[in-house]
Amino acid sequence: MVSPPDRPRTRLLTVVLRRALSALGTLWAAVTLAFFALRIAGGDPTHSLLAQGLASPEQVAALRSHLGLDDSLTTQYVHYLGDLIQGDLGESLYTGRNVTAVIGEQLPPSLQLALSAFVVSLILGLSLGLASGWYPRRVVGRVADALSALATGLPVAIVGLIAILAAAYLSRMFLPALALTRAGGLVLPSLTLGFGASGALARAIQAGLLETSAAPYLVAARARGIARGARLMWHALRPVLPLAVSLSALQAAFLLSGTVVTETVFSRPGLGRLLVSAILDGDYPVVQGLVVLGAAVYTLTHSVAEVIASHLDPRLRDAEA
Amino acid sequence: MTLRPAHWRLRAGLVAVVFFSAGCSTPSTTNRGVTYGLTLSPTGIDPHLNASAELGIPLSSVYDTLVVQDPATGEFLPSLASSWSISEDGRSYTFHLRSDVHFQDGEPFDAEAVAANIDYVLDPDHHSQKAVFMLGPLEDVVVGDSQTVTFLLAEPYPPLLDSLSQVYLGMASPKALETWGPVDYQFHQVGTGPFRFEEFVPNDHITLTRNPDYAWAPSIYRHATAQVERVTFRFYTDPATRALALENGDADILGELPPHDWDRLQRDGAFQVESVPIPGQPMQFLFNTRRPPTDEWAVRQALLLALDRPAIVETVFGPSSPVAQGPLSINSWGYSAAGSFPAYDEAASARLLADAGWVPGSDGVLRRNDISLELSIVAPSWGYNPEVGQLIEAAWEALGARVELRVAPSFGQLKEAQEQGDYSAIGLNFFGTDPDLLRPMFTSGGIYNWMGYSDPLLDDLLGRAGGSAAAAAERSELYAQIARIVRDQGLLIPIRDYVNLVASHRRIQGLRFSYAGWFPLLIDLELAS
Repeated sequence: MVSPPDRPRTRLLTVVLRRALSALGTLWAAVTLAFFALRIAGGDPTHSLLAQGLASPEQVAALRSHLGLDDSLTTQYVHYLGDLIQGDLGESLYTGRNVTAVIGEQLPPSLQLALSAFVVSLILGLSLGLASGWYPRRVVGRVADALSALATGLPVAIVGLIAILAAAYLSRMFLPALALTRAGGLVLPSLTLGFGASGALARAIQAGLLETSAAPYLVAARARGIARGARLMWHALRPVLPLAVSLSALQAAFLLSGTVVTETVFSRPGLGRLLVSAILDGDYPVVQGLVVLGAAVYTLTHSVAEVIASHLDPRLRDAEA
Repeated sequence: MTLRPAHWRLRAGLVAVVFFSAGCSTPSTTNRGVTYGLTLSPTGIDPHLNASAELGIPLSSVYDTLVVQDPATGEFLPSLASSWSISEDGRSYTFHLRSDVHFQDGEPFDAEAVAANIDYVLDPDHHSQKAVFMLGPLEDVVVGDSQTVTFLLAEPYPPLLDSLSQVYLGMASPKALETWGPVDYQFHQVGTGPFRFEEFVPNDHITLTRNPDYAWAPSIYRHATAQVERVTFRFYTDPATRALALENGDADILGELPPHDWDRLQRDGAFQVESVPIPGQPMQFLFNTRRPPTDEWAVRQALLLALDRPAIVETVFGPSSPVAQGPLSINSWGYSAAGSFPAYDEAASARLLADAGWVPGSDGVLRRNDISLELSIVAPSWGYNPEVGQLIEAAWEALGARVELRVAPSFGQLKEAQEQGDYSAIGLNFFGTDPDLLRPMFTSGGIYNWMGYSDPLLDDLLGRAGGSAAAAAERSELYAQIARIVRDQGLLIPIRDYVNLVASHRRIQGLRFSYAGWFPLLIDLELAS
């Protein structure tokens, strides 16, 4: 298709700008929600801070004022947004450490887990979806169907415990030095989390394949003598892919929240553990920092997924323009 | 076709190799020292500034304290202070320090160092969460000569020795404190103890290595220096994974096991198990004496009699758990059997309520003057409080009350619920080796008097037992009287004395705990060959 030379660029620019604006809006909404929700529902952090000590009411009040907690909510909010715009996430109420440093320290192990779980979920989700959608009546298809149902239905915590038990059994029986279950290990957690995340993808691919394999154009392809494998790859799967890609992006959110449970069950460090302890401690600045990070990751993966999906599906591309 | 099994084996082998190399990023298994499983991952681990009990498990072996408590008797014995004297009026404590002690960074330990540590704790900009409150009415620390230091108090404060025996007031190198400051010192701790602080990676691990220069072990230790090279602490926050970590060989020692897992390990016989009593208060629920219907003695008494506490304890904690009998746990100094709470008596409970005018309405709920018997329980989310709360709820409903159970996920929310005041019973307890911990809970207007109870006699007894320089026998008798009043007034529901359920691998020997129960004496740990 021939188009005027400047058209693609302006189109791209508007798309990027529009995306960036809506990403900022999402970020702002997330931060604001977190800010007020925590302060309204979360309780007074000074209580947690001084839980073990016999602080008098005057000492509690002094701490509150030092932490800026007795300013009005609006004042605190304006201060917070002001700092945030300058890239300052503040300091932990608990340890006085810089929130960026606290989060930075726990980010690598979580990223490692989320990325490897993502790879696992792609491989598992694709295989299970293909097997159950393309061979719905064969044994392999039925097994894949059952597995993807389990992946969707079983909570990550249960899968994790089963994985630890199974690995413990295996390592005692066959490979004593395997050390699969050691705290901090990566193999079992990423399998567990990846399995949980694969369910939705497998389901989507399965449903899509079942639908397209009955479509008239596939019958026509078959009549033209195209091999079964090629029909699957080039004809049946293609319309399913954009949905699969958007779903995978949604998984980013699942993986982020899944790390909370996975890290706890497998005694791994990371953002999930940090989030839980920060919420229980009432350490607002840390929780908010994590919300900012989560929202940023979420909007970023979403935008990337939309670009990819629009390349895969011309209908989406035209709708965007 | 005959090749197929071999094929399979080969493939399984390949998979195993891949898994193996992925799982083995951690150091080699030859003499990896000891791995100790902790149960929660503390947010900050500077003992002078932070408050968790968990931090003391590793750090009480990094620091020495001025005095130590005999693990068996609770008697105070010399450590960094070789002797001490207390003035007649109980307001001045003079410590004579050892002269042969130096910190792990080579700095000498002397009276100036003691003063610097106390200054660090007291500094209002440091916001100490626990240590500062343990110093009570401390007014000043006076350095006499390099080996003499005196603590001056505004009023007598018997728990001072207890405070100074705890890791929260352990002696840190003043140079390290000054170099790193309150934010970063937790990552660079330096004490005089049998282990050096090697590394803290939040949520991942804490590592200690043996201090080869240690030559001033107090008499409570069986060894002069540490017997293992390295102790690594890891965090097993999910209770369900603790016994598994032990069984898989990932951890050598684990505390706070879920009771049923601990029972299983005990029957199993492959591990050493121990139930370490924790002095202080048992798990308990305090009655709200300010709000109807629990402001009424007869109602509180009836609610107490309606609970089969041994059955509740056995259901939730298994067969080998101690049932609590008062505001102090049975193994605490100051506990008195004379204050034991009444046993389960359903008939007496119903009679008390009937006599007080509570009669069943048409819906089966007890009523008096058109007001139904409505109760609200607030249970902390930790330590099996919600499970116990459910059993209490069921028992009171069987009695004819309408009961609501709320769970508070953090101490902040528990405190919030307390401030709102609309509860009938709320879970709260404190640990400690000195019974003076009862004072803030039972004196009129005390910080933790969540019962809202006020009795001048109780105030007087608590004041005399804790605030004066009373002799031990006299204090003991005063605490017995206090326990009787708490029982007779039905101020609380004692549930279960705390025990730390520990299990360890057979290769671990010499695992002992401090008088406070939580903290292991790591110096005495040995590895069986």
